[in-house]
Amino acid sequence: MYFEIDPKVREDKGLSLLREETHRFAEEVIRPAARELDRMSDPEQVIAKDSPYWDVLKQMKKLGYHRIFIDPDYGGLGVNATEAHIILEELGWGSVGLTTAIGVDQIAPAVASLFAMGDVIEKIVKPWVEDTEAKYHGCWGVTEPECGSDYIMACEESFLPHVKELHPGEVRADEDGDGWVINGPKSSWISSAPTATHVGLHVTLPPHDSLANGAFCIVPLDQEGVTKGKPVDKLGLRDDPQGDITFDNVHIPDDYMLIRPPFYEFRIGQIICTTSCFMGTVFTGLARAAFEEALEYSKNRVQEGKPLCEHQLVKQKLYKMFEKVESSRCYTRKIMEHVWEKTYIERTFDASSRHALSAQIYGKRSAFEVAYEALQIFGGYGLTKDFLIEKLFRDARAGLIEDGTTEVLGLAAAYNIVQEC
Amino acid sequence: MAIFPSREWVEAVLQAAEKSEKYKEAAKDWEGDFLSIIEGDEEFVRDLSRREGMEGFISFLDMMPLEARRKYNGTPMGDVFEKKLGVPLDSPADKFSIDEMLSMVSKLSVEDLKGACTYFWSDFWHGSVRAMKPVAPGEHEDATFKLSGKYSAWKLMVSGKQDTIRLVMSNKLKLEGDMSYVMKHMKAVVALTKEVFAGVPID
Ligand SMILES: Cc1cc2nc3c(=O)[nH]c(=O)nc-3n(C[C@H](O)[C@H](O)[C@H](O)COP(=O)(O)OP(=O)(O)OC[C@H]3O[C@@H](n4cnc5c(N)ncnc54)[C@H](O)[C@@H]3O)c2cc1C
Repeated sequence: MYFEIDPKVREDKGLSLLREETHRFAEEVIRPAARELDRMSDPEQVIAKDSPYWDVLKQMKKLGYHRIFIDPDYGGLGVNATEAHIILEELGWGSVGLTTAIGVDQIAPAVASLFAMGDVIEKIVKPWVEDTEAKYHGCWGVTEPECGSDYIMACEESFLPHVKELHPGEVRADEDGDGWVINGPKSSWISSAPTATHVGLHVTLPPHDSLANGAFCIVPLDQEGVTKGKPVDKLGLRDDPQGDITFDNVHIPDDYMLIRPPFYEFRIGQIICTTSCFMGTVFTGLARAAFEEALEYSKNRVQEGKPLCEHQLVKQKLYKMFEKVESSRCYTRKIMEHVWEKTYIERTFDASSRHALSAQIYGKRSAFEVAYEALQIFGGYGLTKDFLIEKLFRDARAGLIEDGTTEVLGLAAAYNIVQEC
Repeated sequence: MAIFPSREWVEAVLQAAEKSEKYKEAAKDWEGDFLSIIEGDEEFVRDLSRREGMEGFISFLDMMPLEARRKYNGTPMGDVFEKKLGVPLDSPADKFSIDEMLSMVSKLSVEDLKGACTYFWSDFWHGSVRAMKPVAPGEHEDATFKLSGKYSAWKLMVSGKQDTIRLVMSNKLKLEGDMSYVMKHMKAVVALTKEVFAGVPID
């Protein structure tokens, strides 16, 4: 049913093969595991040693999906933007939750591979890229109990003149001999925190007066002083566990401080540009999955003497869903290409944040709108656990909050639009 | 292959910048001079102990007028030359005996180089490099930007082996000045390393 509209991609045998292979993995491995994880009543089961979560993570690492965003000179997968987009859409089609797990996994090593030198490359990046057993697993610690949307706003460079109006942040790093000591809590919403061995962590620096006076570091989580809470029991994206992390005098060497002033203030938004493309793309995969489920169902379910898809009203819904999936793919791919160019090719790290944020919002919103209509097409059956659509709907709903609410991401983009356009 | 820093290297860099259309385009809006500060380290001692290294460095210093070189006297770098290598930096060029200096360099330790800095100043203006030359301590202190770091880090940058951003972000080079300006003109910074510096192989 998939038709690739871009002839450059359609006619490229390598890309078609890449899509087919990734799709097979998403269909045969990710989706069944995600459904199993989703149905576990206790999130502790998701993170247990014998959970399918670990099998999938290992298989993703064997296939190199944990290296998509790592600098190719430092062991990255070496894909281009289009290839990354194809892989991520397919993985997202399989499940956004498990794809988020492999996405947050690579944030800290990817940042290190792009900006760091010395010890951190030897001790973190190299073993990370070589890992095929999920010995290492990363998460991304941004939001805090008192500082949710505020942290998202603080990452937009155009918002800097107003940054002092925000909460000044709770997780702090202070100089300590030849390194740093970290204290404070991250929110209960850190994806993969319950399973992670390392966190890419946002901290504030002395005098701890503003979120802009911050830094990004990598912290191994097997140290004394690190406490993790229980995984959160939640509505959607249940196959990727969220949980809090608290730091009590946790030490890291100076090398592990990856982005510091003045770069933090001006460039931290570039991480959000990359994660935004990621999010927009994987949710495009979810949108497509929901559309396909609805289309299939509408061809088989008969009401008033004919298949649902033969009813005008349903046809109209199917068309709108199709339009959203296709436009979401085109838009997120274009923006992914732009951000990739600025990050991995030109290395100027000056991607347009309003575009990147809008790719995230567009992908997430499309996914929710498509999943919402798709579930409606299923009627009462859509609400049952027998069909995938209810999971897709719950996952899409969680997406409107994950990584920044669509409203707040839009607000951040608007600051950039007003300043730059 | 040029020695960094040397007269030959400066001339080659100026030429490379003049020839590079990519650099000119990327830096067409750039306005701002740089005071660069190279701090002596182990690698500096190693390079000075090679004849070409020593000759290159002397040729670099020789680009300064005598009175500028005199200002190094009493600074850690001046002391290295006067007390450890036996020739004050403000000596006329023919007073520098490379053989003698090479024999003394072997006794030089990293400790002797503590605080020993060489300064050079470059004026980048709308895609051209209007000046690049060694200067005396204290000169061009009001430069728009200051970039300082160990000699080994500088070599990584000018050889094009490492990009400036990675060196600055990992604290190997320290950049002072209006960072938001630098961020807005990242293309120029990247092109300077990739198109100009990397085009002049160093030994
Ligand atoms: C599934 C999931 C995964 C997540 N993964 C991670 C992760 O890996 N790492 C991480 O650090 N965080 C993660 N988060 C946290 C997520 O980024 C935050 O939940 C999100 O940014 C919103 O913050 P909050 O929940 O504190 O809500 P609040 O900030 O309290 O916002 C509450 C409501 O107020 C609105 N609001 C807030 N500020 C404004 C404003 N200035 N103007 C107008 N409206 C406003 C918001 O839109 C929202 O509707 C995750 C969240 C979820 C649900």
